[in-house]
Amino acid sequence: MHEWSVAEAVIRTVQDWADGRKVRIKRVVLGIPAVSFLDSDLLKEAFDTLKRDSILEDASLIVRFKSPTFHCNSCNRDFSLDDVKDQLDKVRAEFGEDYPMHLIPALAPAFISCPYCGSHDISAKAQDITIDQLEVEEDGGPQGSG
Amino acid sequence: MSAKGGVGKSVVSSLIALSLPKATLIDLDVHAMAIPKLFGLEGRLHEVTSKGIEPFRVKNVAIVSLSGIVKDRFVVLPGGNVAPTMESLIAFSDIDTDYVVFDLPPGLGDEVLVLERVTDFVPVVVTTPSRVSRKVVDYLLKYLEERGKKAKVLVNMAYMECNGKTVKPFGDYEGFGLPLDPDLENYVGRIQDYEGPVRAKVAEFISALF
Repeated sequence: MHEWSVAEAVIRTVQDWADGRKVRIKRVVLGIPAVSFLDSDLLKEAFDTLKRDSILEDASLIVRFKSPTFHCNSCNRDFSLDDVKDQLDKVRAEFGEDYPMHLIPALAPAFISCPYCGSHDISAKAQDITIDQLEVEEDGGPQGSG
Repeated sequence: MSAKGGVGKSVVSSLIALSLPKATLIDLDVHAMAIPKLFGLEGRLHEVTSKGIEPFRVKNVAIVSLSGIVKDRFVVLPGGNVAPTMESLIAFSDIDTDYVVFDLPPGLGDEVLVLERVTDFVPVVVTTPSRVSRKVVDYLLKYLEERGKKAKVLVNMAYMECNGKTVKPFGDYEGFGLPLDPDLENYVGRIQDYEGPVRAKVAEFISALF
């Protein structure tokens, strides 16, 4: 499941950032592009399992979906995911849950065309998974870090 | 890699991967997706597990291609989406081999820039003897030189053995030449079974490299 590799990458990224800083992580706010349709429950489950025995073991993961607006470079109109729901349904019907844009959101133009003019020359913002916020606690207590 | 199209990069990449003890062959041509066609893997979908994209395994080669994600369809992408697609393909691949061979599409765009971003590499530049090809490939060689990378040049379709005589259908050439073998076409779809002169010459090239 793709959610596990994302959770592992989030933990590794936070650990790299925290290296050398004496902190414990309390909260991670993750921004996920809505078009990737990552399952937030699975993601949290994966995170809660993989975070054990690390500086994130007391951290909670908050998942925020970033709903992108698509822009058509051909006719210059903007449209949302809802505007292409029928096209998305077709893709999920063909591929099932692990479909291409779930794994690689940048593939959207290969599968979705502008609902107004039909062009595939579309662009979307917010295609990366981002760590939007980290809430930390300075680790100065007598017990030290675990 | 090659700035020029149609010179045989995918065939050469495949034969290089087959000549190494164990290699992962990553097909970065997100539009043509030729590698699975050469190995007879059309229609196959990659399994995606918690370790990432599981390669197709053919003999000693682990193969990853975008066609294993999108199935049999066109991939039309605006320029800005090509790099993230390539990066995702590389980043998510479950690689467990010492060697990785990247098959690049023709050009001097994202394919070259993404590779540089991701890893150090030995450029194997493929050309044909044609002056058109050599001229175009020169741009790539100059760029690689500026980036501090010494490219190994392979001249594909350089010569042919005809009844004991060596023929050069495209004229004279300089550098390490690979032969033209019409029989190779019969192995499209099962290139792993090809043991002819092109394969032998690539193996010779690889042992000289390491």
